[in-house]
Amino acid sequence: MAIKGFTRNFEPLKVLGEEQCWRIHRATLDVLENVGLRIEHERARKLFEQHGCKVDKKDNRVRFPPALVEESLRRCPSSFRLRARDPKNDLTIGGNSVFFGPAPGKQIVDLETWEPREPTEKDVYDGLKILDYLPNVHFLAAYTPFFGFDPVPPVMRIPEICAAKIRGSSKWFFEGYGHDCEIFVIQMAQAVNMEVMMSVLASSPLTYYHEAMECAFRTAEAGMTARVLPGGTYGSSAPATIAGSTVTANAEIMGGIVLLQLLRPGMRIEVKDFTFAQNMRTGSPAFANVQTALHGMAFNQMWRWYDFPVAMTTAYPNSKVSDSQLAYEKSLIALSAALSGVNLQLMQGAIMGELTYHSAQAIIDDEMVGAIGRLLQGFEVNDETLALDLIEQVGPIPGEYLSKKHTRTWWRDQSYFGEVADMTTYPEWLKGDKKTVLDHAQEKMRQILATHEVTPLTETQEKDIQRILAEATKFYRGKGLI
Amino acid sequence: MSQEILKRLSKKLMDLDDEGCSAVANEAVAAGLDPMEAIGVLTETIHQIGEEFHRGELFLPDLVGAGAAMEAAMSVFNKELLAKGLKRESMGTIVLGTVRGDIHSIGKDIVRTMLTAGGFIVHDLGVDTSAEKFASAIKEHKPHILAMSALLTTTAREQEVVIENLKEIGLRENIKVMVGGGALDQAFAEKIGADGYGSTAAEAVVLAKKLMAS
Repeated sequence: MAIKGFTRNFEPLKVLGEEQCWRIHRATLDVLENVGLRIEHERARKLFEQHGCKVDKKDNRVRFPPALVEESLRRCPSSFRLRARDPKNDLTIGGNSVFFGPAPGKQIVDLETWEPREPTEKDVYDGLKILDYLPNVHFLAAYTPFFGFDPVPPVMRIPEICAAKIRGSSKWFFEGYGHDCEIFVIQMAQAVNMEVMMSVLASSPLTYYHEAMECAFRTAEAGMTARVLPGGTYGSSAPATIAGSTVTANAEIMGGIVLLQLLRPGMRIEVKDFTFAQNMRTGSPAFANVQTALHGMAFNQMWRWYDFPVAMTTAYPNSKVSDSQLAYEKSLIALSAALSGVNLQLMQGAIMGELTYHSAQAIIDDEMVGAIGRLLQGFEVNDETLALDLIEQVGPIPGEYLSKKHTRTWWRDQSYFGEVADMTTYPEWLKGDKKTVLDHAQEKMRQILATHEVTPLTETQEKDIQRILAEATKFYRGKGLI
Repeated sequence: MSQEILKRLSKKLMDLDDEGCSAVANEAVAAGLDPMEAIGVLTETIHQIGEEFHRGELFLPDLVGAGAAMEAAMSVFNKELLAKGLKRESMGTIVLGTVRGDIHSIGKDIVRTMLTAGGFIVHDLGVDTSAEKFASAIKEHKPHILAMSALLTTTAREQEVVIENLKEIGLRENIKVMVGGGALDQAFAEKIGADGYGSTAAEAVVLAKKLMAS
């Protein structure tokens, strides 16, 4: 059993020619060999040195032999299964499978005033219930749906949200790291027999700080899976050019892959683009800029070329409200990702970048994702679908297709109709309450909250989660962080 | 002749040409121009650049480029002032840095450019600056203002550590503290005992002038 995602039934879009791929690859190896990465983690540097990397002790720079890099890439499986706490939600990623998940936010936003506020525990569990229900949310992301809730102290946010995800949904998820929280995240995943994927994030340009490397060690030691990602913005922490920033992003990722493969040969790794264009007026990320999309498409193509499961940049909008700007920003990223061969894509729910999230937005986005999934499915060309006999039978006007069995058989399969987009006729809409997609989404949200039931944890599992959270609290108290 | 050189100096800064700025600055010194006058021209020009940025005609890479060009010229004139035993008049002296654990320099660099343009002498300690490093720079430069930046919510607290450290070693009384950065707001600034908070680089200049007057 496994969750049914989407299948892309046609060749992905390519934005690079074969020779361009090779040039980017050679440039990436060149950067790794001659510029190297700054690795702020002693155990990692030692391990790299033992395997032929040159380590400069003055600036903690590690330079990688190309053969080691290429060997490490070859060791990674091109596709693998990820175990959820409920086997019906297992995920097999790679190849032409496409899965969507939510794009979380730090805070919840008010749908009238569009002002953000700290979420409550109820907001978190309600948000998870919606995500557990939504058909096109195939997995959950880190920090989902919110980065924390009042009054959880900062160091306990990831453990508490991780526990909430485990209780509030039976879907698979990946998680972030920081302040050693990965110790408790991994324990909680083990308690419910789930394989969590831990993030290993490079700090662009060309640096790995201690916490990311520590998370890599702990993930490999626990036999869990990892996602390696760069985090630059073009023109400030990465080159302004798409080609150049593809090189630095890939070099950063490959450094992480080399470490993980040294720690656990054959380890299952997914790569994710987490780079963005920069708004050169404010210095903030221009999340869903066309440069971000084009970079992501090149990223998808390069990592498919390397035969890796790949995730593209999260579809974060810069809009502060659920409006047409948000819709075009999200669809630009999600469509360019889906068409260029992404395997995992974050999309549902985010409103302003990483800052705000709302379940009603997740419901609207889920419908957009449904349409994208149908688009990826493509269509069959055979005698039945070509319908030559029927076309001959109907002929020109006054012939029609509405009354034909062929129409009744095929129309649903060939399209996708959602539930919340306003598809009423104009007169119907004028006579009614003039409802918008956001009104419909809120109605559906209330209905899901009233009726949907999440597969509960067993009593033992719940006890284990509580024990691990108590241990985490004790750990942080001991460190003076609570 | 001297007016022509100053005009060219201003033009080079407008063109964001650091090598050109340095060359024309050297030319100005060789021609015996008053460094103070030249600095005045640079300050006026960078003000114009700041204005263009706020009107949305110039962008961050331009502003950072202008900062580098300005500094290239200033290093020539500062040397000349030192040689002549002159002291540059300024609005005040500021020690600036991004706090420990935070490696974000872009916002801080823009604040430095704007403060320099506003007539302040700025000692930039860079990124990942420890409380101890701030303290020793304050002892060395005796600034009027300490300006700190943090982009991350996890490092914002470090600004409080710096302020507490200054209190412990008896340096807090003689200095104004201003803070800024993506993770902060006015309420946070007040809570950690800073004297002022600015949300943008332009606000930083207004704030610094206000703190000097208070």
